[in-house]
Parts: sequence; structure tokens; C-alpha cells
Amino acid sequence: KQWYQRRLAITAGQEVTERAAEVKKLLNLTKNKDALKLALQNPPIGHQDPSVKEQNYETVLSVLKAFRTPEIDAAVGELSDADVDVLMKYLYKGFSNSPDKAAALLLWHEKAVKKGGVGCVIRVMVDRKGI
Amino acid sequence: KQWYQRRVAITAGIKMSTNTPQQLFVNEPISSHAFNKDLSQVVVSNASAETHIFKKGAGGKYVLDTTLKEHLERVTSVDWAPNSNRIVTCAGDRNAYVWNLQQDTGEWQPCLVLLRINRAATYVRWSPNEDRFAVGSGARLLSVCYFDPENNWWVSKHIKKPIRSTILCVDWHPTNYLLAVGSCDFKCRVFSSALKELSDKPQTSPWMPKLSKFGTLLVEFSTNNGWVHGVKFSPSGAQLAWVSHDSSVNVVSMDNQTKVFTVLTASLPYCCLLWLSEDSFVAAGHDNCPDLFNVSRDDVKYGARLDIKKEKLSEHNMSAMARFQKLDEHGLTETGTKLHTTHVNCITDIRAAATSNGKVTRFSTSGKDGKLVIWEVNALCSAIQGLSI
Repeated sequence: KQWYQRRLAITAGQEVTERAAEVKKLLNLTKNKDALKLALQNPPIGHQDPSVKEQNYETVLSVLKAFRTPEIDAAVGELSDADVDVLMKYLYKGFSNSPDKAAALLLWHEKAVKKGGVGCVIRVMVDRKGI
Repeated sequence: KQWYQRRVAITAGIKMSTNTPQQLFVNEPISSHAFNKDLSQVVVSNASAETHIFKKGAGGKYVLDTTLKEHLERVTSVDWAPNSNRIVTCAGDRNAYVWNLQQDTGEWQPCLVLLRINRAATYVRWSPNEDRFAVGSGARLLSVCYFDPENNWWVSKHIKKPIRSTILCVDWHPTNYLLAVGSCDFKCRVFSSALKELSDKPQTSPWMPKLSKFGTLLVEFSTNNGWVHGVKFSPSGAQLAWVSHDSSVNVVSMDNQTKVFTVLTASLPYCCLLWLSEDSFVAAGHDNCPDLFNVSRDDVKYGARLDIKKEKLSEHNMSAMARFQKLDEHGLTETGTKLHTTHVNCITDIRAAATSNGKVTRFSTSGKDGKLVIWEVNALCSAIQGLSI
């Protein structure tokens, strides 16, 4: 069982690295919305290796930074409910990592709450496994 | 004069009120309430060790009638057995009492219940046949209590494994020997509670495919994250719904227990729920408002918010002068700080008040704002367009 879990962890790590590369490609092609949707797929929740989680966090952050303010609303509007929940988790991770640079994330937060409601925020609060 | 005429027209247009609120306590939350069979009386527990019985007075309002004083700590839950007319209360003093109405004096006499728990009791419910009741507690176990006539007290049998944390809610299945338990270990479980002592003759069903003895765990559902605040079997017992602190509403059918329908709602978490019929239920909680959910064979969907305040309509009739005055008083926005819901704090308990043809036609909610509100389902259906219950 341990071996199996280790295999899963390795594949998750590989997936995160591959996703980072894919997202970078999409951003270079200015396909921002697609990059956002891809970045929010399959987050490494509860992964034992913190560097994998950090890498995925950096990927998501790079996508969020690529958007201009008027584009955020449309981008969030196209996300599925599950994606909005994942986005909210990363926003709160961003708030705790760098509270002084929260201004940009707060713009995203307002749009995410418009879509997912306060229930979305509650689910971040009760989450026991870190994203 | 025009304004007055418009007001008359509006009030005439709304023939039935959708809800009747009543402020039972000021500045004291209501933890739990229960009506008797004909709705003439209601037993209410607030933040004190006293339990209050209100009687319906001449104007239709409930007036304080008696106070039951026996508990030493805050009463957490009450229940009224409609047919046998007995009240059960449980409190933080690790005790529960069954209250019997003395015919000659009209007084409620408490009878001790031996719960044998070392933490506060949190929740109590009579079974459908009213021969037993279940008490959930912070001692991580469920006490199923039945009457022992030899010693004239109520004794309990415990269900302990595998409950790992405080029990928040319990619901009985219509067959009287199955129990659903929601607890703080993020799980909702169904147990068998067939008692040999009461000559139970359980039958197999999809919930209990093999005859199981008392305390057997039949099925366990996980909610990922979030305490299970409320759990309820549907009126036929074929479905089980629970609400949890991750703002989710979950429903499972006994015929397919691996498929749990989950709605991750956009509201604050719900604390309690009530099935109105086999395909709809109402959940209420921290949003101060009951929400309707519709259940079909392959889907559970959010239906509607059931609180509509009449005062909102009057805003359309404000003259320009009044509008600017209000803007001047309250600042830039017109929304203000007034809540648009009938309850102004979390709803903690929801009960069926009247049923007809197997569907609930009236239900009541009590909340942390000290209010008891009775809702009319038919009036809600006509007031909210497209509502189906």
C-alpha cells in the first residue's frame, strides 16, 4: 500500500510539472482563459511533498497575474463550480503567503464570491488538507 | 392620497401571509422547540437551564404558560411525543428528563433518565412509536433510552463504535428500529437499534440487508469536511438527507447507497432540515432563511429561497423626495443594514407543524434571535413563482 501511495505521489508530482509547462505555453499564446482552466485542474491536495504544492501554486499565480482587471469577470464566469472552489483555495493561500500583495488577489476574490457565493469561502475555511 | 391608495392596493393583493413570526424571547437564542399534537402548545429551550411551555392564546399568539425547572445546565434539545403527550429534554448537565403531565394537577412531572454519559447531551428525539428516544452527546456515543417499569426510570443502551466525535443530530427511521446519526467526525451513519427488551421484530430492508443486532453500523457516509449539523430520513424512509458545515446538502437513496447526491451551495452552512414530501425538503441555518431543495430520481437541485419580505415592495412607491432623504440619511447605498429575512439570526430548529396527504403544509422554525416563525407552504407556493413542492 505504501508503494502504491508513493507511485501516486510521483505521478501527481509529474502531472504538476507537466501542467506548469503547458500553462506557460498557453500564456505565451495569450490563451489566458484556457490557461486558467488548465491550471485549476487536479490540484495536489494533501500531497506529502510541499514543493509539489508550491509549484502548482506558482503556476496558478502566474495565470492570475496575466489577466487584466476587466477580463477577470468573464474568466471567472466561464469556470465550473468545482474550479471556482479550487480558485478560492489558491486565493486564500495567496492571502496568507503574501498579505501585502493581496490587492490583485482581492479583485479575483470579489468575482469568485459573485460566482460561488459565501459557500465557496466556507469550503476553504473547513478544508483540512492543504492545497 | 395617491401613496395611501397604492398601499391599500398592495396589502389587498397579498391575501395570505407566508409566515407568522413571533418573538418569544428578547436577547435569548432558542436552541430547540417542539409542538404538541394539536399545535396548542410548544415547548422551547433557550440559553438557560429552564424549559418553557407556551400555550396558544386568544389572538393566536403563544403565551408563556409553565416553566420546567430540573436541569442544572443549559438545555440543548427538547422533543414532544405527540400521541403519548410526553416531553423529553436533555442538557449540558449530562442528564435527560422525561416529563409526564399529571392529569389531576396539570403539572409536568420529571422522570430521571440514566444516560450514563460523561459529557453534555446535545440532541434528543422520540422514536416514531414513542416507546424510546435517542440522545446524542459530546461523549461520542448515542444513548437509546427505554422505560424500565420495575424501577420506574428510563434506562439506556449505548451505541459507541465507530463514532469518533460529538454527535450533533439524530433521526429515526419510520420503522422505529433504524437510526441515522450525524456527528463532528464529518460522518453520517445509519445504525440498527433493534431492542430485544422491547420485543422488536425487525425486518430486512435495503438499509439493513441482514438482520443486525443493536448498535451495528449499517452504512457510513463521509462529508469530506464539515460537521454534520442535521440529518433526516424522508417520510417513507427510502432516502436520507444531511446538511454539513461545508455548506453542502447531501441526499442518498437506500436503493443505491454508493451514489450520494451532493449540492455544494453558495450559502452559509445549514443547521437543520425537514422533508416536506418525498421529493422536496427545506434546509435552514446560518443564512437565517429556509431554502427549498427539489429531489428527483437522479438529481438534487436547489429550488428557492422561501423568505420574501412584503416591505420590499413599498420601496417602489417612494417619492423622489423620500428617496433623496433616505440617501442623505443612510449614505451612498440604499441597502442599509437591515436584514431582509424574517429571522435575524441563525435558524437552529425546523419542525413539521401540519401535514395533509403525506405532505407538510405548515412548518415552524426557531432561531438564535429568539423568534418562532410558522411558515405556510401553500402561501409560499402561490407567492413564489415557479415553486414546486
